[in-house]
Amino acid sequence: MSLIELENLSKIYDETAVPVEALKSIDLKIEKGEFTSIVGPSGSGKTTLLNMIGGLDRPTSGKVIINDKDISTMKSDQLIDFRLRNIGFVFQAFNLIPVFTAKENVEFIMLLQKVPKDERERRAIELLESVGLKERAENRPSELSGGQQQRVAVARALASKPSFVLADEPTANLDSETAESLLDLMEQLNHEYQMTFVFSTHDAKVIKRARRVVTLEDGKIKSDIYQNEKSQINS
Amino acid sequence: MIILLAWKNIWRNKKRSFIIIAATALGLWGGLFATAIMIGMWETAIDAAINRDLSHLQIHQDGFTTEKQINNFIENPQTVFNAISSLGEIENYSARTVIEGMASSPTSSRGIKILGIDPANEKKITDNYKKIIEGSYFEKDIRNQIVIGKKLADKLKLKMNSKLVCSFQGLDASIVYASFRISGIFSTESSTFDEMNVFVLQSDLNRLLNVKSLIHEIAIRTKSSLVVDTIKSQLKLKLPILAVDSWKDLAPEFRLTQETLYIQMYFFVGIILFALLFGIMNTMLMSVLERVREFGMLMAVGMKRIRVFLLILFETIMLSLVGGMIGVLLAAATTEYFAIIGINLSAFTEGLAIYGVSPMLYPDLPLNVYFVLSIMIVSTSIIAAIYPSYKAIRLQPAVAIRTF
Repeated sequence: MSLIELENLSKIYDETAVPVEALKSIDLKIEKGEFTSIVGPSGSGKTTLLNMIGGLDRPTSGKVIINDKDISTMKSDQLIDFRLRNIGFVFQAFNLIPVFTAKENVEFIMLLQKVPKDERERRAIELLESVGLKERAENRPSELSGGQQQRVAVARALASKPSFVLADEPTANLDSETAESLLDLMEQLNHEYQMTFVFSTHDAKVIKRARRVVTLEDGKIKSDIYQNEKSQINS
Repeated sequence: MIILLAWKNIWRNKKRSFIIIAATALGLWGGLFATAIMIGMWETAIDAAINRDLSHLQIHQDGFTTEKQINNFIENPQTVFNAISSLGEIENYSARTVIEGMASSPTSSRGIKILGIDPANEKKITDNYKKIIEGSYFEKDIRNQIVIGKKLADKLKLKMNSKLVCSFQGLDASIVYASFRISGIFSTESSTFDEMNVFVLQSDLNRLLNVKSLIHEIAIRTKSSLVVDTIKSQLKLKLPILAVDSWKDLAPEFRLTQETLYIQMYFFVGIILFALLFGIMNTMLMSVLERVREFGMLMAVGMKRIRVFLLILFETIMLSLVGGMIGVLLAAATTEYFAIIGINLSAFTEGLAIYGVSPMLYPDLPLNVYFVLSIMIVSTSIIAAIYPSYKAIRLQPAVAIRTF
């Protein structure tokens, strides 16, 4: 079974009297260890698709199966708990807690998982080290650059030992050099830890780095390309 | 860490937090200090009344307090003295002759209560001897001396060594006229007391009434005000045919004031907290609306809504407690300071004297008030947190994380 399976997934937003079909019968499978980008123009359904995979929104019809569990029918608290233990999030706007240090931001996820204090602190330092920010552990987000903040966000996403990391336009607020550096880190983590990354992006440079590119248009998968593998799957 | 996060979140917008903290602190300080003055004022009035004439307990023949008939005297006072002496916790007692009569001067006359006393015993249970402003408290060895209040002296236009004629009903129902010489003038906190009461030697009254002893009232001072009710019960058992009353029975207006004072205080402070509740709620609501994206992120990464609710609740409680504690500390400090040096309200002496209240006030705030107040502050903050918390937990993470 695949890590992530979307079966006949549809989402209709009932915007007052004019329903909007954001996703139309999407079928998609993502395996463990993939480095996949979801691309498409504005309004293509990228954000909606990511929200479905991340359990942040419920489909109108179809299923979202992660680690053999259908999350589309889970209750709210169950879903929150599932996200905590299975999905790591990296947001476009970093979304670190401004009053916490980098270390405390990473620890916070483990706190929610009720990880003991000693283990929490040790693992937080390890993760910050893996993203190259061990020496900035006691700095607050306001004392870090955009790139550094996003690295902390990646460390935080990994803190819960998730099945995969969902990144919504992770390089959008970064300059090209910093964006490259972040992608290097994500690729490294993907290779070293077989960590699955699924990210949405507009950035062509970022798209080039993905090993699989799923292109959406008008709520449907237009193309699904494994780059550097010379195979193409069309929807 | 939720508590640590809540504490740190309070200080994200220092200016806004300080405004609420200051408002809470000042509101509570004002409310508590005003209450401390009220409590101190009434406690001073009660103490003054006890020291002036009520004492802690009084024993009379049954029915004497309602109709002060001269014939309604205590028939066997020695039995009463023995009963009193058999109890512990008694500091002292004094037997009094109490007769209602008229005081006349060349210019005017007034209804009075004539108290025949043994000064040596009376000094042990009252402090009227300290209130002498002219003359002395029965220090002269002369017959028919009388000590009157300044208010009465002014009304009758009398002064030291003036003659005062008292008339009253004797034991045989005849009217007794007695001429006294003013040997002392006193001024207490109560202008009413000063106008109504005169003191003479018990021996002089006994001679005038042609009796060996005539006791209408035995006033008792206990070692502590806390044992008054216990001693009263014990005396009632030992002296079943006599009326044993505590100061609360003799001055029910004081008892009522004392009982309702705390209710009034909590009501007063409650109103202040109710007003502050809206300020706190508004501040927290602004804080939540500014952090919509952050709350969206917290719920997205796995923070349950109940924890989000608790986070905001802790923030609100901490904000309120900081202001509350500062207000309480300020109130405690100012109360303690003025409890030592007093607040001089001599500008209002005449008005306060009607109620028997000294113009020198010593505020007081009992310890249990602080405990109850802490509960009130926490309760207020919990109520204030409800709506902002509700707004936060109703957020949809998918929408909230994309809010700018």
